Amino acid sequence: MLHDAAGAANARAAAKLDEAAVIRAVQRGDQDAFERLVRAYDQSVLRLAMNLLRSPEDARDVYQEAFLRVYRNIDTFRFDCSFHTWLYRIVTNICLDHLRKRKVRREEAAIVDTADGPVDRMDSFEEEGAHADPERRLWNSELSSRIQTALGDLTPRERMVFELRHYQGMRLRAIGDMLGTSEEAAKNCLFRATQKMRAVLGDLL
Amino acid sequence: MNCDAVTKSLPLYYYGELPAETEEGVEEHVASCDTCRAGLERQRLLAVALDRHAVEAPAGLLAECRHELSRAIYREEARPAHTASDPWSLFRDAFRSLWHPGIRFVQPAGAVALLAIGFFSARFVPGSLPGIGRADLTPDSIVSSIRSVQPDHTGRVQISLDETRRRIVSGRLDDENIRKLLMAAAREQDNPGVRVESVGLLKDQCTSADTRGVLLEAVLHDPNPGVRLKALEGLKSFATDPDVRHTLSQVLLKDQNAGVRIQVIDLLITRQDPATIGVLQTLIGKEDNGYVRMRCQNALRDMNASIGTF
Repeated sequence: MLHDAAGAANARAAAKLDEAAVIRAVQRGDQDAFERLVRAYDQSVLRLAMNLLRSPEDARDVYQEAFLRVYRNIDTFRFDCSFHTWLYRIVTNICLDHLRKRKVRREEAAIVDTADGPVDRMDSFEEEGAHADPERRLWNSELSSRIQTALGDLTPRERMVFELRHYQGMRLRAIGDMLGTSEEAAKNCLFRATQKMRAVLGDLL
Repeated sequence: MNCDAVTKSLPLYYYGELPAETEEGVEEHVASCDTCRAGLERQRLLAVALDRHAVEAPAGLLAECRHELSRAIYREEARPAHTASDPWSLFRDAFRSLWHPGIRFVQPAGAVALLAIGFFSARFVPGSLPGIGRADLTPDSIVSSIRSVQPDHTGRVQISLDETRRRIVSGRLDDENIRKLLMAAAREQDNPGVRVESVGLLKDQCTSADTRGVLLEAVLHDPNPGVRLKALEGLKSFATDPDVRHTLSQVLLKDQNAGVRIQVIDLLITRQDPATIGVLQTLIGKEDNGYVRMRCQNALRDMNASIGTF
């Protein structure tokens, strides 16, 4: 077990060194290195933006804007925090701007345009499939709708803190650092977000 | 701690964000208070419900984003050239050469065709290409990739492409072909909705080794916690199988989702063996979620195993 732990720590250290080398190469103007850097993080950036904003168009805008900012400002990255923190600071700022700019229209929030027409993505995540009994489907549909309402009721900052803690698994201290606030304030946001959601979803849980 | 203080602490306790001394106070209180224990369970159910309703990017969006970024980067100031080594680089180079001042296309059609590459790559559907000849494409075909583009001196262009066709297949769940398609769908990388649905159906048909293999793979590797939870449900009846238990132990120690870890604990403790005790003890040492840690401790107590010797 100790060997496993030491091995994992070595692997992490090696990955960090490798990433630092890639970032330095990007700073020297190596575009292949930039592509490697993008590909190392872009899936998680898109997942964060998509789950947070629940709109493919907005998620695409966030992706584009975030990596363009990285491209333009990588020279200013001084390794005084991890690249992950630096990138997520950029991404969360852009996402917060999006959340603040628009008042999410709940009835449209999960609608996605596809080649087959608009589809409510929440339908894909129902607990039971089309074969499930109507009562169960109704319950799932009600739960989906309430979750949308609950998430829509959160302030942008509460939504962001909840997203980063619950879905991205980040610690509140790191979230506070990223959002330029204290751990205590992040804690309060998480508490308020959870209380609001329990209030909306309470009787369904 | 009293019920009021514990109720206020439950969300932070669930996420492992309380100071150690407060956390211990919550645990002691919850162990002896049915109301607060039910409150903690509701907190867990909230987390599971939210996990199951997580939204992921639609299929193709990532590719589209990468493509658009490469175009946007090109429009930024050009940086030193490099040798293209993969489709991303080749594509970026195609655009770079398209706009390079030293290069002129002999025929305008050539330029149109190269622009069309971007359009095709981004959309993958021929129906959205006004002005481009579609005579040779079947009505329900989907363009998956462009192999080559060749303009000729007459102003026409020859485009070589791969096309796929959409088919509707239906059958009973016990049909071997349907089962094979479902197993493929359970691995459909770009569409978590398809994976959730397929794994949900396979979990009730988990009689063969290959179906079980797909569920184990989903539990171990699927990025969507909703899919992983669904696959775990399908593995319930195999909770005593040594291979399944080995995989579950791995999942317990590496899965980032507390709901998944709790469900794995429930499956593992259906049989008491030294390996399970070891895994639970290891987990307690690294677990940052108070609720999961409590479930671990309770399981170890039930097995008369030590909690603190690891």
